[in-house]
Amino acid sequence: MTPTAGLSFKPVHFEQAMACPAEGLWFEVHAENYMVDGGPRLAMLEQLRTRFPLSIHGVGLSLAGVDESDRDHLQKLRQLAERFDPFLLSEHLAWSRHEAASFPDLLPFPRTNEALEIIARNIDIAQETLGRQILIENPSLYLHLKGHEWPESLFLGELVKRTGCGLLIDVNNVFVSASNLGFNPYAYLDALPRGVIGEIHLAGHAPDPLLGRSLLIDSHDAPIAEEVWELYEWLLASCGTHRPPTLIERDDNLPAFEELLDERDRAARMMAEGRRAVAYA
Amino acid sequence: MPDLAAFQRAFAEAILAEGDLVTSFRSEAFAVYRNTSARGAVEALRAAYPTVDMLVGEEMFTRVALDYRRETPPSSPILSDYGRDLPTWLARQPWTSELPYLADVARLDRLWLESFLAADAREGDRARFGAPRVMLHPAARFGWFPTPAMTIWQAHRNPCGIVEIEPEWREERALFTRAGMTVTGHLIDAACHRLLLACAQPVRIEECAASVARAFPNASVPELLRTCVASGAIIIS
Repeated sequence: MTPTAGLSFKPVHFEQAMACPAEGLWFEVHAENYMVDGGPRLAMLEQLRTRFPLSIHGVGLSLAGVDESDRDHLQKLRQLAERFDPFLLSEHLAWSRHEAASFPDLLPFPRTNEALEIIARNIDIAQETLGRQILIENPSLYLHLKGHEWPESLFLGELVKRTGCGLLIDVNNVFVSASNLGFNPYAYLDALPRGVIGEIHLAGHAPDPLLGRSLLIDSHDAPIAEEVWELYEWLLASCGTHRPPTLIERDDNLPAFEELLDERDRAARMMAEGRRAVAYA
Repeated sequence: MPDLAAFQRAFAEAILAEGDLVTSFRSEAFAVYRNTSARGAVEALRAAYPTVDMLVGEEMFTRVALDYRRETPPSSPILSDYGRDLPTWLARQPWTSELPYLADVARLDRLWLESFLAADAREGDRARFGAPRVMLHPAARFGWFPTPAMTIWQAHRNPCGIVEIEPEWREERALFTRAGMTVTGHLIDAACHRLLLACAQPVRIEECAASVARAFPNASVPELLRTCVASGAIIIS
């Protein structure tokens, strides 16, 4: 079975997930939640893995951190990947560690030549330790930082060229960043290299409680916005026959499984329709 | 243009700083990062200490968790590890003298979580020794408490809703065991606690039984062993 559209796995939906007959369905989990010694979490994931392809999405490698990646953490990621044999393994273009502190967030940085060298080094170390390619996800941005020497699309493209990594394009993050920082999301997507997108993320966002729509938050607590679906459609069309597996992310304000499955089915239909349209052209 | 190290140092300081001490990043957009980091830490603590959250209420728990984070921010992206020393930190806070059982309840929440995430028993654990040995299951956790913390903990973690209790003020001992997907808490007596202590390292069954019988001549050791095996607290190989 070729994985088409997938869902973030939520343990509360385990029973429905296991019984779900949707063709091409797959699941993604956050690596750090499964870096435990044993018990029900891992047992549940083992069972899920017997039925579905799995993607492992890390949030803790801090690839854009000045310090070299934490080798212990990388080893834990490697053990997880060896145990669950995920078809995708991804991390973020962000940092989250500084000296002894670890921030439960994905932090921004000026995209300089120096940052490019450091991140390329960290991706090399990660891929070497893991013995496989990883995908790098574009972050959602809130702050105008000074000192950028690269636009994000080209920065990601350069990392692909230097390290052989692939890309995970979060379309909602592109939309949120474009809205917050005032750039054209279509131009952003258009500037990405072709054929290297290994996965797409779709999620919901929310206006900042105080500032409203002038600051959008990548909240993962709402259905996917129509503007994000439109952007996704455009990205799919630009991918030609290579349609990257697409994930519906939802972390907060969790609705019924069926509601998430509806969004997932919509993405799967768009992938199939686009593929047909390309085939007929 | 500051280098990446200088930028990250300033940014990290600004996230952890009190109020608006760091002016270089003072903006509403920067607040998103400050809030996300703070919320991530607070919610990790709430997930690890659900009974403490029930006892003090959501708002108070948030304030307490933010105080704790100020002294001890997360040091690892594996957030289930965060706040291991919250129980001892709570015991040191002057305001907890009004709630003398709170730190013990926090210890119980942590033991539950440790049991939930602990390693599985391996087949080798059961068949490693020639003579019959008794050892703790890797997911068994137990402790002694100077307060009736376990009675309070159990009343709040009852699956059918919080139970009204008037606990007798006395020391208690608790045991957590894991079977399949479920971790169960048990109130145990002093003899059972002694038996579990005796099994901290794999020990010959006679030796374990003798040490419990010496300390508790009236206890029925075979019965205790049977109960502990049935609950999954110990493994006999």
